Amino acid sequence: MSCNRDIWVFGDYRNYFQNRVTLQILARAVDLASKTGGKVCAVVLGHHTDEFVAEYIAHGAQIVYAMDDPRLKSYSIETFSWLMAWLAKKYQPEILLVGATRFGQDMAPRVAKKLNTGLTADCINLEIDENGLLVQIAPSFGGNLIAKIITPVHRPQMATVRPGTFQELPHDNHAPGEVIRPVLPDDLPKDRNRLISSEYRPSKKQKIEDADIVICGGRGMGSKGKFKKLFDLAALMNAEVGATRPVVYSEWASHDALVGQAGKNIKPKILLSFGVSGAIQHTAALIDAKFIVAVNKNPNAAMMKMADVAIVADANQACLGIIKAIREKIRN
Amino acid sequence: MKTSIKKMTGKWKRPKIMLKIIVCIKQVPMVSELPWNPKTGTLKRELAQGMMDPSSARALESALQIKETKGAHITAVTMGPAMAEEILHQAKALGADEGVLLTDPGMAGADTFLTSRILAAFIQEECQGFHLVLCGSQTSDSETAQVGPQLAEELDIPAIGFADQVEINGREVEVHRHVDDFFEILDMDLPGLITVDLSAYKPRYLALGGVEKAFEHPWIRRLSARDLGFDEKFSAVKESPTRIIDVYSPTTQKANRVLKGAVKQVVDQLFEEYGKVISSAMGKDLKTHEHDGV
Amino acid sequence: MEFNPCMKHQLIRKTVREFAESEIKPHVSTLDRESRFPWDIVEKMKPLNFFGLQVPHALGGAGLDTISYAVVIEELSRVSAAVGLCVTVHNSVGIFPILEFGTDKQIKRFVPPMARGDSIGAFCLTEANAGSDAGGVETHAVEVEDGFILNGTKIFVTNGGVCGTVLVFAVTEGEDRKSNTGVFVIEGDRPGFSVGEIEDLCGMRANPVSSLFFEDCWVPKTNLLGRLGQGIRIGLTALDTGRIGVAAQALGIAQAAFEDSVSYARERQQFNRPLSKFQTIQNYLAEMATAIDASRLLLYRAAAQKDSGRPFSAQASMAKLHCSATARDVTDKAVQIHGGYGYSKEYDVERYFRDAKVTQIYEGTSEVQRMVIANSILSQPR
Repeated sequence: MSCNRDIWVFGDYRNYFQNRVTLQILARAVDLASKTGGKVCAVVLGHHTDEFVAEYIAHGAQIVYAMDDPRLKSYSIETFSWLMAWLAKKYQPEILLVGATRFGQDMAPRVAKKLNTGLTADCINLEIDENGLLVQIAPSFGGNLIAKIITPVHRPQMATVRPGTFQELPHDNHAPGEVIRPVLPDDLPKDRNRLISSEYRPSKKQKIEDADIVICGGRGMGSKGKFKKLFDLAALMNAEVGATRPVVYSEWASHDALVGQAGKNIKPKILLSFGVSGAIQHTAALIDAKFIVAVNKNPNAAMMKMADVAIVADANQACLGIIKAIREKIRN
Repeated sequence: MKTSIKKMTGKWKRPKIMLKIIVCIKQVPMVSELPWNPKTGTLKRELAQGMMDPSSARALESALQIKETKGAHITAVTMGPAMAEEILHQAKALGADEGVLLTDPGMAGADTFLTSRILAAFIQEECQGFHLVLCGSQTSDSETAQVGPQLAEELDIPAIGFADQVEINGREVEVHRHVDDFFEILDMDLPGLITVDLSAYKPRYLALGGVEKAFEHPWIRRLSARDLGFDEKFSAVKESPTRIIDVYSPTTQKANRVLKGAVKQVVDQLFEEYGKVISSAMGKDLKTHEHDGV
Repeated sequence: MEFNPCMKHQLIRKTVREFAESEIKPHVSTLDRESRFPWDIVEKMKPLNFFGLQVPHALGGAGLDTISYAVVIEELSRVSAAVGLCVTVHNSVGIFPILEFGTDKQIKRFVPPMARGDSIGAFCLTEANAGSDAGGVETHAVEVEDGFILNGTKIFVTNGGVCGTVLVFAVTEGEDRKSNTGVFVIEGDRPGFSVGEIEDLCGMRANPVSSLFFEDCWVPKTNLLGRLGQGIRIGLTALDTGRIGVAAQALGIAQAAFEDSVSYARERQQFNRPLSKFQTIQNYLAEMATAIDASRLLLYRAAAQKDSGRPFSAQASMAKLHCSATARDVTDKAVQIHGGYGYSKEYDVERYFRDAKVTQIYEGTSEVQRMVIANSILSQPR
C-alpha cells in the first residue's frame, strides 16, 4: 500500500513547559515537509488534551490526530505504543518522529518493531536527500562519531530526536489546522504494566545540561580550596559549574558536576574551561558548546586545541583575574 | 515398599521455583576512537580490546543482587565475535551460572532490529520458562537504548525501561525509576523485561579469585545463526531496515586564538576581543572597552 | 614456542587496571607527596583477593598462577609502584615461604588472615651490617625451653610500618653458618617487637619502609618456619619468588612512563610540529618499546617456568635484572622527553623516575643478580 507523504510527530505533552521537544520537531517537520510535499501532523493521545492540540496547531501542525479518552489519561508505554502503531497502519504516514525523552526512547523502538520498520535514535539533525529520503543524522560512540542513516524501503521512516536540537517556531494563533479524532478501537489490549505512583520531581541535574554558561574545572585548578573559586565566578556569571573525573574523584566537586562519559553532556553558549587537560571522556560531552574559552598552563593540552580562545596561564590565577574583571565591569 | 514409607514419613517441602534470569550483555571497544569500515558501515571492532559495556554491567549487577537476596539462575548471553567470550567469563566470575555466545559471521553489523530478533530467537529456543530478562538501558557505543524494548516486543512480554531499583515479589516485579522529571513506581507480572539505568546498580569489582574459578571449567556455549533457526545465508546487514551511508568525526572548526602573557593582560584581552559574546551569554552589559566610549 | 596471553590473563589485566585507575590513580600524587599508606584503598582491595593472589581457594585466596600474579603486580605498579610493592612483598616473601615451608598447622594459622588482607606480611633480612652479604646478619634467636628469644634490629623493611605478620631471618648459636640460620614468624602484637620510624625515601614513598626492633621477643617453637638450618634456603627461595614480583613492578613503572611519553610526544609542539615527528624522539620511543617488550618476555618466561615446576632461579634473576634496568632507562628517557615539565611534580614522570631506581637495589641488587646468573652458568656441567 502506498503511503501519503505526511510527516507525523508524536505529541509528548507531559511536563509541557519544560519539555518543548514536540514543538521543536514540528518546526523541523515544517521544513522537511516543504521538500517532501506532505502534511505536518501531530498525534496526541490522552484525556482533556485540547490545549495541547491547539498548541501544536499554533506551532506548525496542519493536522492533529487526537484520541481523547479517560483510559489514556496517564502515559502508558504499552497502550501508547499499540495505538501509535495502529494509527500508523491506518493512516500510513511517510515519516514518524518522536522526541527522545525517556518515554519517547522507550516507545519509539516498540512502535518500530510493531511496524517492522527501522528507527534511528537520538538524532541531532534530519534532512531530505535528493531522492526524497529522510537522512537521519545521529551521534554514536559517545559523540565521537556521527552517522548518516537512511531507511531505504521500510515505512514509515522513524527517528527519535534529541531535545534541544531544533528551534521551535513562534506561536501563531491564526495558523489553520484540522483535528481528526479516531475512535479508540475495541481490541485495545490491556496494559501489562501497572503504574502505582507518579510524582513530579524535577531533578536538579537539568541545570547544567541546559545552562547557557558552564564553567568546567580540572585538576589544573590545584586544590579543593582553589576549585571553590569557580563557584564564585559561576555566581557572578549566573553559570553552572562542571568538573572532570579526577576532580570528582578527589572530591573537589560532587558527582552531579561530572561532565563527560558517565556524567552530563552540556551545550552552553559559552564554556569556560579551567585547568582541564582534555581527556576524550570529558571532551566528548562538549561538542555542542558554542564558544569555548580554555585556560591551561600547557598550551598543547587537547582542551586548548579545541577552544575558540586558548589562554596560556595558571588556571587558578586566571579564574581570580576574571572574577576581578567582571566585578569591576559590573560596578561601573 | 521402602519408598512409600519414606514418602509418608519424609518432610513435605514446598518446591522452590528457581528464578530464571537472562542478562543480555555486550562487549564494547575500550578505546574512544575506532576506524570505520565503509563497506559494511560498521566499526572495526577487532582492532581494539573489548570491555563489558557499562550499562550491561549494571544489568548484570542487578541480576547478581537478586540472586543474592532471592536465589536465581543467571544466564548471561551476548551476541558478538569470538573475543566477546571474555565478558561471559567475566560474568561467570562475578556470579552468573552460565554463558552463551551467539556468534556467526552473518550476525555482524546487526542493528537493534536484528539484534533483538536474534536474542529473542535464543531466549525462545533455549530458555523456556524464564522469568526475567535484564538489559542495560543503553550501550556506550551505539547508545540507541532500543534493544531492550524491541526484544520485549519480539518476546511479547511487558517491559519497563530505565529502572533504578528492581524488586521481585513472587510473580511480580516492582520497579522504581526517575524518567523525564517524574519519579515513578510501576509493577508488572513476570515474565517481563527490565532495562537498568546507568545511574543505578554500580557494578562490583571482580574478585581475582573469581576469575581463576571462571576459567577452570569451560562452560561457554556457542550458538550460530543456524542453531537459532535462521537460514544458512542469514545476513544481518542485508536484512536491516536501516542503512548507514556515512560516518565521520564531528569537525570543530575553531578559530583557536591563543592568548599569552601576564594574567591581568590576558584577562583584559579576553574581554576586549570577546566581551560581546560573554555579555550576551550572561545577559548583562559588561561595559567592556567595546562599549566604553569614554 | 607459543607465546600468547590467554583470555584469562587479559581479563585479569583489565580487571586490575580498571580498579587501579578508578580507585588508586586519583590519589597517587597525594599519597606520594604525603608519604601516606593508603589504608582506605587497602580496605577496598581486601575482598578482591589482592592479598592472597597465589593462596589456594580453600585458604581464602585467589589461587592464581604466577603469570597472573605478575600481571596483577604489573598493573598495580603501573598506577602506583608503592601499592604494587606492598602487594608483591606481602604475597611473595610474606605468604609464599609459609605455604612452601610451613607445617599444615602453621599454614592454617598464619595464611588465612594474611590472604584476607587482615594481616599484612613482610620479610626482614637486611641489617645495618648485612645488605647484600646475608652472612653478616646479627639478629639472633636463642633457643629456650618452650621457644626462641629474638634480639636484633632489621632495617629497610618494606611494609614495616603496617605489617601484622613478619618473617624474620635470624641466626642461632653455633659456628656453622649452614646449620644455624632460621626464619621465624613473628606476629605484630608480640611483646618485644616494635616498629621504628618510617624511612624518608626517594621513591615509593607511600610504602611505609621502616626498621623493626626485636628486644627479648619470645616466640613459641611453632613459630619457627621449617627447621633450624633451613634459614638460608627459605630466604633464597623467598627471594626467587620475590624477584618475579619486583620485575613485574619495574615493568609496570616502565610501562606507565612509556605511555605518558607517547601521549606527551603527540601533544607537545616545538618548532611547529609535535615532538613525535622528530627522529630523536621516535628513536627514544622505539628503544623504550623494545626494551619493555624484551623485559616483558623475560618476566613472563620466568613466571611460566616457576609454574611448570622447573628451577627458575636464574630466570627470575635475569627478569629482575633486565626489568629494573629497563625501568631506570625508560623513566630517565621519559623525563627527558617531557623536558622541563618532566622535572615538575605537575606530571607523573618524575615520580616514576624516583620510583624506578630502587628496583635495581632491593630484593637483591643488580650486582647480586649478576652473581646469581653467573653462578648458574658456571655450575652447569661442561
